[in-house]
Amino acid sequence: MLGGIYGLAAFGLSVSFGVLNVLNLAHGEFLMIGSLAGYAAFVHLNMNPFVSAVLVIPLFVMIGVGFYLLLIRPVTDKPLHELLVASILITLGASLAIEDLTSFFWKRPVTGIDYTLAPLQVGEVVISSLRLLVLLFICILAIVLQVYLKKTFVGRAIRAITQSREGAKIVGVPISRISALTFGLGVALAASAGIFYVTLFTVTPVIGIPLTVKYLCVVVLGGLGSLVGSVVGGLILGLAEAFTAYYLGTEWSPCIAFVLLIAILIIRPSGLFGVRE
Amino acid sequence: MSTVLECQGIYRFFGGLQALQAIDFSVEQGDIVGVIGPNGAGKTTLFNVISGAIRPSSGRVIFQGRRISGYGPHRICTWGIARTYQLVRPFASLTALENVLMGVCFGRSRHPPRKERAHLAMAELEFVGLGDKAHEPAEDLTLVQKKSLEIARAMATEPKILLLDEVVSGLTPTETATLIDKIREIQARGITVIMIEHVLKVVMELCKSVMVLHYGLKIAEGSPSEVVHDPEVIKAYLGDRQGSEENSA
Amino acid sequence: MNTGSRTVLPPIAVLCVAGILCALPRFVGSYVLVWIFLLAVYLTLAASYDIVGGYMGYMNLGHSTFFGLGAYATAITLNMGYPLGMALIAGVAISAVFAGLVSYPLFRLRGAYFALGTFGLISLMEVLSNNLRGLTGGSGGISTPTGDHSLESYYLAVITAIATLVMSYLLARSTFGLALFAIREDEEVARAFGTPTALYKSLALVIASIPASLIGGIYVWNVTYISPPAVFGLEIALSPVVMAMLGGTGTLMGPFIGAISLTSVQEILWTKLPYFHLTTYGVMMVLIGLFMPGGLVRSRWLKPLIDRVGLGEKTHYANVS
Repeated sequence: MLGGIYGLAAFGLSVSFGVLNVLNLAHGEFLMIGSLAGYAAFVHLNMNPFVSAVLVIPLFVMIGVGFYLLLIRPVTDKPLHELLVASILITLGASLAIEDLTSFFWKRPVTGIDYTLAPLQVGEVVISSLRLLVLLFICILAIVLQVYLKKTFVGRAIRAITQSREGAKIVGVPISRISALTFGLGVALAASAGIFYVTLFTVTPVIGIPLTVKYLCVVVLGGLGSLVGSVVGGLILGLAEAFTAYYLGTEWSPCIAFVLLIAILIIRPSGLFGVRE
Repeated sequence: MSTVLECQGIYRFFGGLQALQAIDFSVEQGDIVGVIGPNGAGKTTLFNVISGAIRPSSGRVIFQGRRISGYGPHRICTWGIARTYQLVRPFASLTALENVLMGVCFGRSRHPPRKERAHLAMAELEFVGLGDKAHEPAEDLTLVQKKSLEIARAMATEPKILLLDEVVSGLTPTETATLIDKIREIQARGITVIMIEHVLKVVMELCKSVMVLHYGLKIAEGSPSEVVHDPEVIKAYLGDRQGSEENSA
Repeated sequence: MNTGSRTVLPPIAVLCVAGILCALPRFVGSYVLVWIFLLAVYLTLAASYDIVGGYMGYMNLGHSTFFGLGAYATAITLNMGYPLGMALIAGVAISAVFAGLVSYPLFRLRGAYFALGTFGLISLMEVLSNNLRGLTGGSGGISTPTGDHSLESYYLAVITAIATLVMSYLLARSTFGLALFAIREDEEVARAFGTPTALYKSLALVIASIPASLIGGIYVWNVTYISPPAVFGLEIALSPVVMAMLGGTGTLMGPFIGAISLTSVQEILWTKLPYFHLTTYGVMMVLIGLFMPGGLVRSRWLKPLIDRVGLGEKTHYANVS
């Protein structure tokens, strides 16, 4: 459940890294903003979170494209080492600024959207139908995404650039435009995941950076650029957090992501689904 | 003459791609050996396997009677195999002298005393004709200077075998001629040279024997003049007429 | 060739600065001393960050982990009744061992992933220091035996800062430093030319952890109270990085100039502005990233000056030998 959310957002991170070679450290912030937007839409417009999860995608694609054009585009032509340093500074700096400003204007934490549906009973087991619906929705989104990447021009271009930037340039893929679009897509995925996040968890402005670390863990766990890997990685992390919270207490669950990351780096650095060099 | 390097049944796969298949060959001490073949034939992969940058999927590399495959590249370098890169890779922001110093300080089997290091590095720079560029950052050098710098850096490790990956590609005829002389001088210092080369003229002029790779397979081996008349080799370079027709259809 | 001035000038400069700083407590008030103490703390952090982040090119956003670890270990040892010297040594030893241990998995990450991984290290430490209540006092923080050590800790911090700068100067001119620069330029080639890169990367992290943990110990001795957010928080984590970047990474003067400018900004701006400290950091980082990734040292109007006094970038390995 939580795993699906992690997986969705982490895939956004990994796709935009594959295309842009830029790791967006502000990724978690967009999830946070997305969930606040979803919350505001629910409270003020009484909007169904599933509707807003769909509506938020085009909006955040635009925000992401704007972010890219304003902050990332100027540095993309630099040599690799400088690009790395600059991109870390820029995205982390943006992340801090977003977090600080949001917490100034949004003082109280948001404790989940009060949106419930009648629970579903299957035999002995009672399942929250809201969670089930969210899961279903994430699955549909993942399938749509997969089809999008496989079939459409933009999707193919994204995969081409990930494999070989030079090659894609030679056959005439408009790198800059696709990059902007991919970045927007990644951001939108995070924001969309954020809306589901707020249906289940408390959201405060400071969750952004720890979440980005979790995505990193998921991406390393699942292997770079693989949607299936991201979702499975997300599920593993979600389960691990649940178990930690159950056996050791909730105060320990924040660090399980990092422990998992270290463990996977020692055992299998290429990720569970990555190809071993 | 004794065998200095031997490859036994080298295979290397990348996913489903067979980059090297059943490569067997041996190199005699003091020779200059050429490795030729069309693009993507696995030449650079072979160099990567010999220098330890990647491991063979199976097979062994024997250097001076000792197995070296499976060891890290930094070990293999200190044991005496140094290389240059097809797309030059000097340490860009370090000066030419510092680049060569890396070879002197780390690449040798025994570390020379600190006071002598700069002189040793300087000597190698002068050997390739870069004595006056010692304090310039490597990124400011021209292509031929960068290539020379790579040779100097490799020579600074006191190698027994030097692997040259397309050193003359992209150079003018005059520059090529100078480099050919340098490679002869290197041979005269008792160093075995294995070179990947596209420019057949250079191979014909320098190499005692040549190995031809095609799609990861060794398709021919022998003296340069034998090899260029081999029907298999001609087919590999000019393309199999039937095959190319099928491809275009 | 001004090789002579290059080898003579830096030691003289260091001695002059050290002399002025030692004599300073006689002439100025405690406000200035506190400011210089904090400057020394930040300078030590920035300069030691630069060994891994600048020389070797691995952006270690978790450098303050060692600061916090040193501070906590020193505080706990002090509370057990050991003298300051022992406590500082314990702090340094523990974080050096820790650095050696985490270096193995962390250096399997490259580039931005390394940066994010090390950043995660801080949050791990914060969780640990919050949860291990018996040892650390949890979120309530930990106090050390009280007493006014401001003058002694001023001297200690200044000495540590100068020693760190001297160490980083010597390191840049050593064979080891040359290897670190080569790793930054092209790790694979460095390895192909005989550098034991894995060992050297770990070693660099351990070396960088020593000044950071030492200054952490001195810091806690001075302020006598620390809490998880104070030593593992975002501000302390990012200041050294921003300072080194602002000044210019991979140079000797960079962290120095960065630390002075940033602490001055803090002093002038933040005393007047209670909010948006992190925003300021953030905006500053974005601006550095967009407009001068090389830092102030490499900017047009400072570079010639610094090159002239022989404190410019890179190794001068060859000139020394």
